Amino acid sequence: MPRSLWTGSLSFGLVNVPVGLVTAVRDLDLHFRQVHEKDGAPIEVQRWCSEENSEVPLEEITRGYELDDGRQVTVSDLELQAVQPRRTRTIDIEQFVDLADVDPIYFEHPYFLVPVGEDDGSARAYRLLTEVMSRTERAALGRFVMRAKEYLAIVRERDGALTLTTMRFADEVRDAGDVDAATRKSHKPTRKQLDAAVAVIEELTCEWDPDKHKDRYRARLKRVVDRKRKGETIKAPKQAEQPEPASDLMAALEQTLQELSSGGSARWSEKRKAEAAG
Amino acid sequence: VAKGYEVRSGEYVLLEQDEIDAAAGEQSHLVELEEFVRAEEIDPVFYDRTYYLGVGDDGQDAYRLLHDALERADRVGIGRWTFHNREYLVAVRPRDDVLALHTMRFAAELVDVDSLDLPAPSRKPSRREIEMAGTLVESLHDDFEPEAFEDGYRRRVLKLIEAKARGEEPDLPEPAEEPGGMDLAAALEASLSKSGNGAGKRKSGRTSRRAAKGKSKAKR
Repeated sequence: MPRSLWTGSLSFGLVNVPVGLVTAVRDLDLHFRQVHEKDGAPIEVQRWCSEENSEVPLEEITRGYELDDGRQVTVSDLELQAVQPRRTRTIDIEQFVDLADVDPIYFEHPYFLVPVGEDDGSARAYRLLTEVMSRTERAALGRFVMRAKEYLAIVRERDGALTLTTMRFADEVRDAGDVDAATRKSHKPTRKQLDAAVAVIEELTCEWDPDKHKDRYRARLKRVVDRKRKGETIKAPKQAEQPEPASDLMAALEQTLQELSSGGSARWSEKRKAEAAG
Repeated sequence: VAKGYEVRSGEYVLLEQDEIDAAAGEQSHLVELEEFVRAEEIDPVFYDRTYYLGVGDDGQDAYRLLHDALERADRVGIGRWTFHNREYLVAVRPRDDVLALHTMRFAAELVDVDSLDLPAPSRKPSRREIEMAGTLVESLHDDFEPEAFEDGYRRRVLKLIEAKARGEEPDLPEPAEEPGGMDLAAALEASLSKSGNGAGKRKSGRTSRRAAKGKSKAKR
């Protein structure tokens, strides 16, 4: 089982479930380290004082915050700890919501909650919460503190376990008001166009199957590393031109529909396979 | 400075930025939608970052058409997108008036629930416990109002900084106590009598806005 990043207690009314937090995602990215091109030596980072022109030991480093007027205030670890909220060891459930009401824009990092301790009562309380959330299809909203930061989190049942996802606060989500979304009336599609576009969408609708989507970037990067290791030279592929917007939307839609109805669905997926292989 | 990938302990393969870019693939100015799915089928665990899509040159009619068609069909487009030389799996969906693009996690990146090795309790929760917990969940149920939650920690850090800027010394509060063990059924009963059958209790400044706002709900 993965290591707990945080342990504490999930508190639900007066019921406390001792839990640990483990990450629900694995980092599969290829990590590079910076090296000196000439001799391959790893690049190291030194903490350097710009005033004394000398290296600074870690224990002499504190945090500075720049005020609007340009002045700087330094804040110590101890002071930051002091403003942490009191309930640092609990996830306090404040409210239950319908999961479908929560816009995915708010989701940040997913974790699993796992029961901790040998206590049978904890395992039972955990099971009870899992079962009730699954039956009611409700998710719990609560707050907790991890690594000196307060998080809003949503807790729900997934595959028989409790999942906790940290959430963005509303003021962290940018307002879409300044995005040009072609809302002028003149851009409104005709009924015929809309019908045709919906027909294309329905023709290309399938079940969400996350397992079929592979990280092609990671696979290609791995191949680049392997080839380079064998001493091959790698050339960057030519970049494709950005396609022109269709001048006649209706014609483009009709052509797409026609291709789809003449066994085009299969052709699309073949094209995709070819791309995945390439 | 070049990038080295450690293939074995201490053994690096050196890559130029060009060579790393070679892995990005060709489609760097395209979001290619390959298929469409129903949004409710996608578990939220797959959503990573969100971007808004704005209209490109001469794309107004096509943008609006895709937006309106996705909205009417109640579907999400799934495709690939290359950004900063990295290819992402993406979901495109209408969010109010704009198209939102979510980068998606790959299934292989998710930790399997079986690896958690969850302990099985000696006996299942009783029906009474499930009923009581269900009642408690319902009593605390309310609409999701993202604006009702604010980042209290950030606010407190800013207050601390302002106090220090005025030359004041901050107080250091005591750490919190840890809650102990409990009797499950008794705790449920006590919670229920505490929350009552009304709109549910509210903690830490969150007030029920449902009554004030009525049932009107922001469109997603």
